[in-house]
Amino acid sequence: MSGISVQGVSKSFGDVQAVQAMDLEVAEGEFVSILGPSGCGKTTLLRMLAGLEFPTEGQISIGGQVVNDKSPADRDIAMVFQSYALYPHMTVAGNIEYPLKKRKVPKAEREERIRQAAAMLKLEDLLGRKPRELSGGQQQRVALGRAVVRDPAVFLMDEPLSNLDAKLRSHMRAELIQLHRRIGRTMIYVTHDQLEAMTMSDRIAIMHEGALQQLATPKEVYARPANAFVAGFIGMPPMNLVDAKLDGDGNLSVFGRQYRFVASDGPGHSGEQTVKVGFRPEDVVLRDDGEAARVAIVEPTGHEVIVVFEIDSARIVGRVSPELDLKADDQVRLAPRVERIHVFSGTDGDRLGGVHSEG
Amino acid sequence: MAGQRSFARKLMFNAFAWTIVLVIVFPLIWMILTSLKPQSELFMIPPGFFPEQVTFEHYWRLLTETPFLTYLRNSTVLATATTLIVIIIATLGAHSLTRFAYPGREFLARAVLFTYLLPSVVLILPLYFLMINVGLGNTLASLVIAYTTFALPYALWLLRSFMAGIPDDLEAAAMVDGASRMRAFVDVILPQALPGIISTALFTAILAWNEYLYALVLVNSDDVRPLTTGVMSMLVTSFNIEWSLLMAASVMMSVPLIFVFVFLQRYLTRGFGAGAVKG
Repeated sequence: MSGISVQGVSKSFGDVQAVQAMDLEVAEGEFVSILGPSGCGKTTLLRMLAGLEFPTEGQISIGGQVVNDKSPADRDIAMVFQSYALYPHMTVAGNIEYPLKKRKVPKAEREERIRQAAAMLKLEDLLGRKPRELSGGQQQRVALGRAVVRDPAVFLMDEPLSNLDAKLRSHMRAELIQLHRRIGRTMIYVTHDQLEAMTMSDRIAIMHEGALQQLATPKEVYARPANAFVAGFIGMPPMNLVDAKLDGDGNLSVFGRQYRFVASDGPGHSGEQTVKVGFRPEDVVLRDDGEAARVAIVEPTGHEVIVVFEIDSARIVGRVSPELDLKADDQVRLAPRVERIHVFSGTDGDRLGGVHSEG
Repeated sequence: MAGQRSFARKLMFNAFAWTIVLVIVFPLIWMILTSLKPQSELFMIPPGFFPEQVTFEHYWRLLTETPFLTYLRNSTVLATATTLIVIIIATLGAHSLTRFAYPGREFLARAVLFTYLLPSVVLILPLYFLMINVGLGNTLASLVIAYTTFALPYALWLLRSFMAGIPDDLEAAAMVDGASRMRAFVDVILPQALPGIISTALFTAILAWNEYLYALVLVNSDDVRPLTTGVMSMLVTSFNIEWSLLMAASVMMSVPLIFVFVFLQRYLTRGFGAGAVKG
């Protein structure tokens, strides 16, 4: 039993509310990413799990035990820091050994476990070096080694890949997935990079302004965003969000075109209201009976082309095949794929539902 | 042509640098040479630079016929005790001022700096009466306390800026790895702050070693006098100054400091450069 349970946890620093009324259940062995823009409270949440900050309100349990008042040393956790936080005056071996020493593991066993961790992370040749003599990627592996060697119940990672260059980052992503599969421990991974969250996680917790927006699998988060923030945050380029009118009978009007609203996967609606309609760039299709639009910007990326269209003054981003060979100022007709339209409340942004059909 | 010009420039630069060095070093060399001359050579006309006859009799007389060794012991005790007390308090205090958030923290730090800005002369009389009243008049302890009062604020600020440069994550990592806060401080923060601690210790030790004014006022018997006032009162009277003995004493006073400097030099340079290399 080494799941994590966060119940109604809030944290404020003076007048600033960093985390508010957070609920989060993580199962044993699960890989959960906490994703959000800078300053959304994700690192504060992680530091509260580690015991480096204490919640103002609420309860945190690890492995079924309430740990609110426990010091970091008494929680069965390891943490990997964004800065790696390697001890500069100790060798690689010394760094990896430190958590074992503090837990009074006998010397012979310590050496054996350092050897195992070094082998797992390919650090054997570096054990005698000081951190400043290592490259960024090597330092990163030492930081992982220091966490792995203890075999803790829970791993906490605070943007561990953000200081690496792009190539090394994708390599380390694969290594982390493998590592998780091999040791099967609960991992909480804080990141602002949706690619990392989408590729590695079992589930993603998306945070914004201190509050949890959605907790779901990467697929679910992408296909059925819980609100307009998640819709606009996940996806590269992000989802198009346009204002629209929904009348009391469920008729939705977007760019003068009628759709039938359906509350298939949302709470539905009541009466006439303004809503936000969302559709992803890949769900923009060119068809002869679509809206008239002008091609404003064309960004070829090789296997696809990102195009910014203008309908009146609204900008719609589309992802189209290079074979269409669109040029700036071309006139086209386009429409969103009906079954992929998302409808969000115009006031609080919550998901209301989708669209059933045209007309 | 270019080679010649750069050679000339080098020569000029070296000549300039050596001139400055000579100007600074000359009194020191004169001090050493005078301490090695017999009394009779001191006032020769014309004066000679090198001694015609080298003698160590002044050193011998100092060590055997005067209380020089008592003064040396007092100075050593003073410098060591002051340095230890200042370093222990300043290190812990600086850690508190950088790592813990509590109301009035900035005010406290500024108040400490403000006390350092007071001229030390102002505090002599109050401190003197204070020491008498608490029964510490004419003791080494009174000097240790006095030196601590003006070394501590500076030490605190020096170490505070040093510790501010040590990333918070290091301490957090040690605590997650199983250390208590105090243990993390000892295992991780102290080794990182070592160059700063050594610079601060050196500053404090030099201050305690060279201080004259307080030593003159607060203590007045030979058994507790440090070198600075002891040597002066012993060799300088209104009728006569024993130059050779004074110079020999000065040489011996300088030796321990030079020794410490040479020993700690590599830490010092590392300390001064520490702010520049982070990563």
